[in-house]
Amino acid sequence: MRHEIIREIALAVTAAGGAENIIRALVEATSRGMGAKGCSLHTLHDDGRQLLPRFSCGINESRLREGQILADESLRRVLKGAPLFVWDAAGDPRVTHKEALQREGIISIVFLPFGEPKQVRGIMCLFFAEAMSFDREDLQFLESIAELSGSILQSAETRERLESDADQARRDLARIRDERRHFLSFLSMVTHDLKSPLVAVEGYLKLLLRKSADCLDERMVKGIHRSIERMDGMMELISDLLELSRLEGGQVITELKSISWEEVLGAAVEMAHELASLESITVSTEIHRPLPEVFASDIRLQQLILNLVSNSVRHTARGGRIIIRARREDDAVMVSVEDNGSGVAPEHLLHVFREFYKGDPESSEGTGLGLSISKRIVDMHHGDIRLESPVPETGEGTRVSFSIPVGVTCLLEERWMLEGDSAVRFGVAAGRTGTVVDTQEVDHG
Amino acid sequence: MLADDDPDIIEVVSIILEDEGYEIVTASDGAEALEKIRSEDPSLVILDLLMPNVDGFAVFNALHDPAYERWSQIPVIVLTSVREEVSKRRYELETGKGMGYAAYLEKPADPDLLVETVASLLL
Repeated sequence: MRHEIIREIALAVTAAGGAENIIRALVEATSRGMGAKGCSLHTLHDDGRQLLPRFSCGINESRLREGQILADESLRRVLKGAPLFVWDAAGDPRVTHKEALQREGIISIVFLPFGEPKQVRGIMCLFFAEAMSFDREDLQFLESIAELSGSILQSAETRERLESDADQARRDLARIRDERRHFLSFLSMVTHDLKSPLVAVEGYLKLLLRKSADCLDERMVKGIHRSIERMDGMMELISDLLELSRLEGGQVITELKSISWEEVLGAAVEMAHELASLESITVSTEIHRPLPEVFASDIRLQQLILNLVSNSVRHTARGGRIIIRARREDDAVMVSVEDNGSGVAPEHLLHVFREFYKGDPESSEGTGLGLSISKRIVDMHHGDIRLESPVPETGEGTRVSFSIPVGVTCLLEERWMLEGDSAVRFGVAAGRTGTVVDTQEVDHG
Repeated sequence: MLADDDPDIIEVVSIILEDEGYEIVTASDGAEALEKIRSEDPSLVILDLLMPNVDGFAVFNALHDPAYERWSQIPVIVLTSVREEVSKRRYELETGKGMGYAAYLEKPADPDLLVETVASLLL
């Protein structure tokens, strides 16, 4: 019988949502189940000293609803976890506000600690309009109800707190995403505006060369050529900076899809041939097929390989060679670009992935951002990248190797974070099909 | 016809092409470009993509419109600082269609390449 009452209570509270409603359901169900005239709940304030009225039903007298009707000593005992039963309120010295009780027609009162024995959260009062008698077992039953109430309330409050934390996190992330969007569009605008004047000036210089080269002496022509080269370098730097910021800003999320390694390598090798042939450097490949499909950004992986090839071309003498290798290694695909060029001096080895680091700071070639961009691309795919110079097997040149895990669902976490719970499920469901969550697109000005 | 919001680009490209004997009509944004395509009926369009008001992407979209059916086959050379794959992706995402240009030149373009490209399209 008593267990059934508890079950009733459990059903009532699970139907109620939110800690406040659960408290009401708990107190009302207990009151009803005990046949009480009315009830009230006072809970301890956060400081643990003040007892504040939280809720009441079936009682008109405001003193009974809001005031404390127990002398301090008895109150403390209940708060320590001992239920108190007063069968004759009118004659009991522990009870205060006797007139109010009389007007309300209250004869017996049960004071129940609300909450688990070790952590009493307040006092539940059940008011009876008749003289009640409770035996030891009754009181034990009431205690177990109080305990149950406490743990239900506790979990409801925890859930509420988590939900509000999650809401806050979602709001924060939405704001961050907005800011990121603004930042990226700001960047592309700035990039476009920075490049436009250079494009115009370079246009005039090229025009000058085309139309008037005959009238200029050799040194002037050379100077104009240098000007064009310097401006190209500046434009490259602006593009690289934009690139870095976009990688940093998570722009690449839009580019993830299921891609074939073989296609990525095919396209990259073709472009590598073009790049290298300008310097009479040969490109050979050692690709161990078959290579698996991965969830990744094909554009970025191609860019990564080309970055490495273009570094090699820059540091390899005419007639040199570049080898691009790829093979599957356990759960990853390992790709390397090796050259027989001038290599990296030992003192530079530790710094090559740092932004703006150039082996020769005076060199006007390259922006010093290529390898840090490469490293970021590898990072976003949860891979590893390393550079060896000289190549151990040949004793010359440089080899940069990177590995990208096969089963990687790169940056999915960020999509989950950005999109909240629904995207957690969405991300899992989407798996490696590469559905685009965020279609934000920014011009590469 | 040459559409670009940068007057210096207009100047440079005009000098290069006028030297080759072409007659140039210019527009400083997409709206003017569409107007001039109707009124001047050019045999070729050189189009910048990032322009104020109506941009180059919108010009492409308009050329697919029945109102411009007469000019739907007009060769377009894109001349822009936006990288080709980025433009393509953006246009596809926004319209679900391909851009269908005759040539794509990234700024700063080499004058010889520009002349060569124009000549090959106006044979």
